[in-house]
Amino acid sequence: MLVLTILALQLAVAFAAGENDSEQFSENLRLRPLQDGRLSSTFEFVTILRTRTTVESESAFHEQAQHYTLFPLALGQLLRRYAVSELHLTLNSGKWNYESWGDPDYPSVASGAEMWAWIAAGGGESVDQRWKGLTNGLSGLLCASMGSLDKKRTTSPSIAFRPEGDLPSGKSHQLLYATLPSENVCTENLTPFIKMLPCKAKSGIAMLLNPHRLFDADWHGMGVHVRWLAQEGIELRLTFGAVLNPVRLSLNAMSRDWSFRSVFDRTISRPCPIATSSSIYVKLPYADPYSLTPDISRTAPEGVAIYDLRDRLEELDVKMRWRDPVFHFRPIENKQPLSVRRLLLGGQTRADLSIQLMNKENVTRQVLWLETMPWFIYFYLHTLTATIDGNRMGKAPPHSLTRIASYAPPTDHKPTLLECIVTIPPLSTVQLTVAVEKASIAYTEHPPDASRGWDLPPAVIQPLDHHGPRRIYTSTLLGDLPTPDFSMPYNVIIMTCTLVALFFGSIFNILTRSFIWVEVEGDDDAQDLVKQKTE
Amino acid sequence: MVCRAGSVAFLIWCIIPLATAIISSFGGASPHEAIESFFTNSSSEGRGHTNNWAVLVCASRYWFNYRHMANALGMYRSVKRLGIPDSNIILMLADDAACNPRNKFPATVYANPGRLLDLYGENIEVDYRGYEVTVENFIRVLTGRVEASVPRSKRLLSDERSNILVYMTGHGGNEFLKFQDNEEISAFDIADAFEQMYHEIFFMIDTCQANTLYSKLYSPNILATGSSDLGENSYSYENDDEIGVSVIDSYTHFVLEYLEGINKTSQATMQDFFDLYDPSIIKSTAGVRSDLFTTRSAAQTLITDFFGGVAQVEVLEEEAMAGLGVDEENRVHTEGVTILPDSSQPARSPSHSRDYRSSRKEGLCYFLATRSVHLDLVHLTPGLVVGSTLAPSLGCFCTTPAKATWSWFHPATATPFERCYDNHLKR
Repeated sequence: MLVLTILALQLAVAFAAGENDSEQFSENLRLRPLQDGRLSSTFEFVTILRTRTTVESESAFHEQAQHYTLFPLALGQLLRRYAVSELHLTLNSGKWNYESWGDPDYPSVASGAEMWAWIAAGGGESVDQRWKGLTNGLSGLLCASMGSLDKKRTTSPSIAFRPEGDLPSGKSHQLLYATLPSENVCTENLTPFIKMLPCKAKSGIAMLLNPHRLFDADWHGMGVHVRWLAQEGIELRLTFGAVLNPVRLSLNAMSRDWSFRSVFDRTISRPCPIATSSSIYVKLPYADPYSLTPDISRTAPEGVAIYDLRDRLEELDVKMRWRDPVFHFRPIENKQPLSVRRLLLGGQTRADLSIQLMNKENVTRQVLWLETMPWFIYFYLHTLTATIDGNRMGKAPPHSLTRIASYAPPTDHKPTLLECIVTIPPLSTVQLTVAVEKASIAYTEHPPDASRGWDLPPAVIQPLDHHGPRRIYTSTLLGDLPTPDFSMPYNVIIMTCTLVALFFGSIFNILTRSFIWVEVEGDDDAQDLVKQKTE
Repeated sequence: MVCRAGSVAFLIWCIIPLATAIISSFGGASPHEAIESFFTNSSSEGRGHTNNWAVLVCASRYWFNYRHMANALGMYRSVKRLGIPDSNIILMLADDAACNPRNKFPATVYANPGRLLDLYGENIEVDYRGYEVTVENFIRVLTGRVEASVPRSKRLLSDERSNILVYMTGHGGNEFLKFQDNEEISAFDIADAFEQMYHEIFFMIDTCQANTLYSKLYSPNILATGSSDLGENSYSYENDDEIGVSVIDSYTHFVLEYLEGINKTSQATMQDFFDLYDPSIIKSTAGVRSDLFTTRSAAQTLITDFFGGVAQVEVLEEEAMAGLGVDEENRVHTEGVTILPDSSQPARSPSHSRDYRSSRKEGLCYFLATRSVHLDLVHLTPGLVVGSTLAPSLGCFCTTPAKATWSWFHPATATPFERCYDNHLKR
């Protein structure tokens, strides 16, 4: 055991050295009681790798070994190998309810898998090849079906998804964006997520990452965000968000009191020693009386209680109790300045896609409306119409309400991409409608559960006049597609085979068989011969 | 597995390049030859497998096929407990039962009514899931014909010394098994896919008319077993009222119950297991096909040869070790290093392994000469994963009061013990 102890000490020294040096790890947990009795929780684990460049050149990749102390090597290898300067990958489950939950801590709340990356071009490999390698690599790293994000699902928007960090100068970069709305999130994704954390789930706030509670949440999602900041270095942000429901967990008590023990079934018993900061932020409610235990380390000005884990040696179980033991549901106060609804109406082949944008502020807003649809959905853009508060505006393009910024039709099995800039007058609702056609696809292209329909990616609304990278996602749609009778090919094959067997068989038989006259009567030897032959 | 390798590899010391000086420092040809013959072992007693792989397939989609997910996950838990690490398990689940909205108990899959044992747990790696579970992908995995960018965790990186367990479950019929209720794999496809990349295969299938699925196999050294005869159904075992569906199939339940009594050092054989087949318990006529399994009999084959990842550690002859500068009195059983395949229970290296230790004033070195080192993951302290190797290796593990270092040498670059000191202690 001495050997192990020595090695552990050695590692501890290495970590301590790494802390001040080129790598830094910090973690925080944000908790926010919501007006509908739920509790929003966002785990954030940030690793900063101080480095001057984000992408190594091809030769450097082969010559120089990669060595990290805190940064996950498996991810670092992928980023370097495929020259990725910025990466955002989220795996979410459920629909983020903007009306009652407000803005999410991280804007990427699309249902299913969403991934976008800024990849450097040049150097012997095409960006598409790199994207393919990256998606496959990430699918192995995170145990998800990212490998299916092929060219059938990948687009390059021209306005949306600008880099959130810096891009190294001197190299041209390309944005690739893809979604997989039917992807689910489960323990097999959380397992590798935890393995990327320097303290795993053994200490620090990651101790609360209990899959049985997180995947029971009304909304949950994990994210991997990598960006490069010219001043800081490469920043890896691993996030896990969950909208927990203390009222449901309290069973019949109908109480919205919560504690780490009650919502995560865990407590934090020791801090992560290598984290430079490890904090828990609890947003304090301003209307209802409550009590928060244990005592708060400090309070931030905007009504946030802060617990610092680093100077805490005893077990931490944050508890919030409300004065009213029973939670009474109240009408939801919708404070969102902008709300979005999207509908797909119509039949299996022709349908109308309509999106409703409600501006509740007394200012004119400009937003970007991004639609990415599978290759079999055609937009008839000439049918794009806009109404304001129900009054028809006539054909849209000539008017000032909409401007199509980019459009990529679905050719060669590539997805449809529509980027449209929409102006929303103050205190009004703009409804945009466009006719779409759902093409019949080859029967082998249908998913195994074809009759369920296709999950269509969410639309993304990005306010253009808003500071910061804020986005609103609509819910996914279920597109009903004309499905063939899948047993038909078998019927055809069986029928064809039967006909061939009958006709070809009998004709072949007649043509090739030689008929011989056999004398039977009166000749015993011949009769014996026939007998022998027939036997 | 790529899923995990990255966070640990920073501790793996680079393989020391081959130098001609190494060979000369042996002080004669015989130790080197001993090492050579050790790795290219052709003696009959040592001609075993050196690594274990498991391909576990649940080919059924939809919630009502919960039991098929539970079948595959039950096997997953058992082989993991018996020592096959996640990196050597290809788990294919055609649907998500654990986080299915219909699952009243999120992130869990149970195989027994009363929900006593959660098969999903908190540490699971599913390699192919959902729509990725197709006949094409399954055959690609078995034959190794995958695209260049497919990560290691999704490949069957087996070799000619691999023992592979292939377990399949789903809905099937005479000579076919359905994938996702959409396409089929035939017994001929399975037979053709099994033609390469293995030392021995144990094929187990639980589906209706399962025994027909192995009827077309023709490649040598395959032992096969199925749950039911031609014309027979395989039935589910039990329902859980709160989950609302059947939770496991009868045959797989029987297998898992048996495996519960097996541990890594178990000497139970395949024949012992087959002898327990009883149609009145399994509710179908489970079959065995052993005519292709000719080099040894099922009675000579341990259960753990296929279900376990037991490292087969062989030690060099005394004289070879002497040539490497290791004295007899310095030979010890490994006590300090605990070999943990992944995160399962601690297991010492097998009792017949002898590892060598030698101390000098500079420090202490362990010298592990194992042909089949399956120290895929060496956990030295909880939560710290230290080393990873798949290739047969000579290992060197040296400690001084100030540092501890560890390296593996590929057979081609076999480094004698002296070299260990030079590389690890004098640096």
